[in-house]
Amino acid sequence: MLWKRQIPILIVAVIGSLTLFGWFIDEPHIKAFVDDDATQWYDILASFAIFLGGFNLLKLQLQKVLRKQAGWQYSLFAIGGFFFAVVAGFFYKGNPDVAWGTHVTAKGTLFKWMFTYMFAPMQATMFALLAFFVASASYRAFRIRNFEATLLLVAGIIIMIGRVPLGSNISSWFIMYLLVLVAGIAVNLIFKNKQYTLGAVAGGIALVTAAGMSMGWPLDQPGIFYLPYLQEWIYKFPNVAGARSIMIGIGLGIFATSIRYILGIEKSYIGE
Amino acid sequence: MNFIIDLILKLGKVDRRWIFLIIGVVVMIPLFYPLGLPIRATATTQQAYDAMDALPKGSKVLVSCEYGPSTKPEIDPMVRAVLRHLFKNGHQIYVTCLWPDGQFLAEEALDEIGGGEFGLTYGEDYVLLGFRPGNEAVVKGIVSDLRKLYTIDSRGTKVTEIPMMDGIHRFEDFDFLFSASAGYPGTIEWVQYAVDPTDVQMSTGTTSIQVNEVMPYVAAGQVQGILAGMPGAAEYEALIGVPGIGTSGMDAQSIAHLVIVLFIVLGNIGYFIERKRSKKY
Amino acid sequence: MFGEVLGAWIAVFLTLAIFSFLYKDNPFYKIAEHIFVGVSAGYWMSMFFWTQIQPNLFGRLWPATHYEDGFWYGIYDVLGMISSSIFPAGGIDKGHDLHFIYLIPFALGTMMLLSLVQKLNWFARWGIAYTVGMAAGLRAYGYLNSNVLGQVKGTIIPLANSDLPVFSLLGASHFNNLIILVGVVTGLLYFFFSKEHTGKFGKVTRVGIYFLMISFGASFGFAVMGRISLLIGRFVELITFSSAQYHHATLWVLVIMVALLGYSAYTDKENPEAEVS
Repeated sequence: MLWKRQIPILIVAVIGSLTLFGWFIDEPHIKAFVDDDATQWYDILASFAIFLGGFNLLKLQLQKVLRKQAGWQYSLFAIGGFFFAVVAGFFYKGNPDVAWGTHVTAKGTLFKWMFTYMFAPMQATMFALLAFFVASASYRAFRIRNFEATLLLVAGIIIMIGRVPLGSNISSWFIMYLLVLVAGIAVNLIFKNKQYTLGAVAGGIALVTAAGMSMGWPLDQPGIFYLPYLQEWIYKFPNVAGARSIMIGIGLGIFATSIRYILGIEKSYIGE
Repeated sequence: MNFIIDLILKLGKVDRRWIFLIIGVVVMIPLFYPLGLPIRATATTQQAYDAMDALPKGSKVLVSCEYGPSTKPEIDPMVRAVLRHLFKNGHQIYVTCLWPDGQFLAEEALDEIGGGEFGLTYGEDYVLLGFRPGNEAVVKGIVSDLRKLYTIDSRGTKVTEIPMMDGIHRFEDFDFLFSASAGYPGTIEWVQYAVDPTDVQMSTGTTSIQVNEVMPYVAAGQVQGILAGMPGAAEYEALIGVPGIGTSGMDAQSIAHLVIVLFIVLGNIGYFIERKRSKKY
Repeated sequence: MFGEVLGAWIAVFLTLAIFSFLYKDNPFYKIAEHIFVGVSAGYWMSMFFWTQIQPNLFGRLWPATHYEDGFWYGIYDVLGMISSSIFPAGGIDKGHDLHFIYLIPFALGTMMLLSLVQKLNWFARWGIAYTVGMAAGLRAYGYLNSNVLGQVKGTIIPLANSDLPVFSLLGASHFNNLIILVGVVTGLLYFFFSKEHTGKFGKVTRVGIYFLMISFGASFGFAVMGRISLLIGRFVELITFSSAQYHHATLWVLVIMVALLGYSAYTDKENPEAEVS
């Protein structure tokens, strides 16, 4: 019990306190340990954790093959891929001019070949798949059910169009005409009177046309209807306000959680 | 009119694989037939450009590459554009990586641009210090004692034998930091552990997804400008006058965004029609 | 050159195999997925071993600068006979000094690996405890300083300054500063759940939600932007590999895959009861 529970909790308390108060202590030995050795140990243990994960994966895939569980044939590919990567990493360099160690980052090695033609394409493609799913989800699930959803959608659309070159080429007058049509739909929904709707739309179009003709139809004026300027304003002001409040909340939460770990209140890392 | 309404309702129930196909086609076609839409730099990209342009000649700039193959299309163009800008202005570039795959990608960019395009010398004009694991612990190590963390560079040469490493012992010996970041660890760790505790200024380029996390730091002045994803890279390429991969992707990006917005609008029109019909009945 | 062409064909196959998931889950996708899992694990292990464990751990336990005949380096010589690549003759020359204290992380790391044995799976706790403690200490300071204090400082902006205009779309202005202040305060109040969001407080937190929704909308826009950029990157590579230099790899692999998937869809339609494994 001592080894399995108390000692890990003690390690977290001691190391956590040392690292936290190390920011404020000027004693050279403690500072040297906290800034250099402690961080090196952290790096080393992170590397061992990667090894643990890799061996665990191998163990699970081998078990699947040996027990002939569903889809065991595919596990052979996983094991094959793993051993190929290990051979490239530890046994076969492929470029005799490169030393062991630098071969994982040097050109002309089997490891670099594997990175360029296997690891990199697969990792990139896995992420690229999300583009299709985000488009499909936007179409099928993104609905204006209430005012908040409308705000979210409008902000998203303005950012999406305003941040790309296409947005810079859409005149602010086009947006104004679009808004006149949307206002017309709103008038129709509220008053349900065709004359009012026609009057509102015609009046709006006339007003915008008159303003445009008097200003000479500049692409980016009035600025508030020019998508790049509008998206810039949304991005720098209301968006920052929302993101900042989330960030402050998260910052306080992380500080509180870190203190809970150091004081031994939070023990999830030992499964409690 | 009813025909149009029924069509819109039918489209709302279409198999999602048709949507995948449309997105695929819409992204592919502009890559073959570019529209050549002009690119205008946004204020935050301009701020990043101005910060790096204002550096005195011969400044020591730390460029940290925190990205991998999955985010290469967004970050690599901005790294290349920034390297071109910094090399053109005669600065010394030190490259570190908080992500291991960042080292491969940084090496490709450095060799092609520093060695190839500008004909500069490794070890005198630019050096790839390489990757060290440990996330924010690495940032802390660079701040306190870089030479303890980096005893050798990526090619295995001892840092004591690299001419441009003279006088570089810790983060404060650099004049500027540019972090090309795709997530954790990245810009946020540099701000928290390196920039805020010291006087060194930084700018950053991030993936589009990370922009909103980093934007408050830009607004608070902790980071000087930000290059937001591939559009940010394209804007920076436009500012330095050397179009690259970022620029060539912008037409496809524009059309794809337009199509997704049309999908959203169409989906909502269908939703309102259905809601009206169900209220009627 | 052959390596490059072979690599291109493999890259194209793996890319299109993963994209085939968009049609439906199929053996091509499953094969690519399992290869990805295996190769990733091996890649990360190799990378972390050669950039961290070998130079920084072994390089500090058996540095070349202290190589001598004796018990300690005797162990090293035995290890060198097992693997001369990891333990080269004469010690590991990475510029470090001898630090026996690094036996502690070595022991913790070994315990982590031994935790693979079912009976010893609690061994990993010590190493995990060290990383948790270290991360907690680092992050407590970092997040408090930069995410809380730094952001609060950034929100303290002038609301009455004769140099600023009342409203400006892109630059600093009274209106924009007010937006930031109101947005941050109401957004933070929304997260205060110790008081019920009713009455006047409810109205204030409602304003907070609106700012949060604008922020989420902007995040959504950026998320779409990011994903499309990644897709463009893949397509650019596939187009590159469709050239004659790579023997039109993309076109051939695409045709073969579409033909096989189409044939499989046709036979599934003919035999709907047949189980697809």
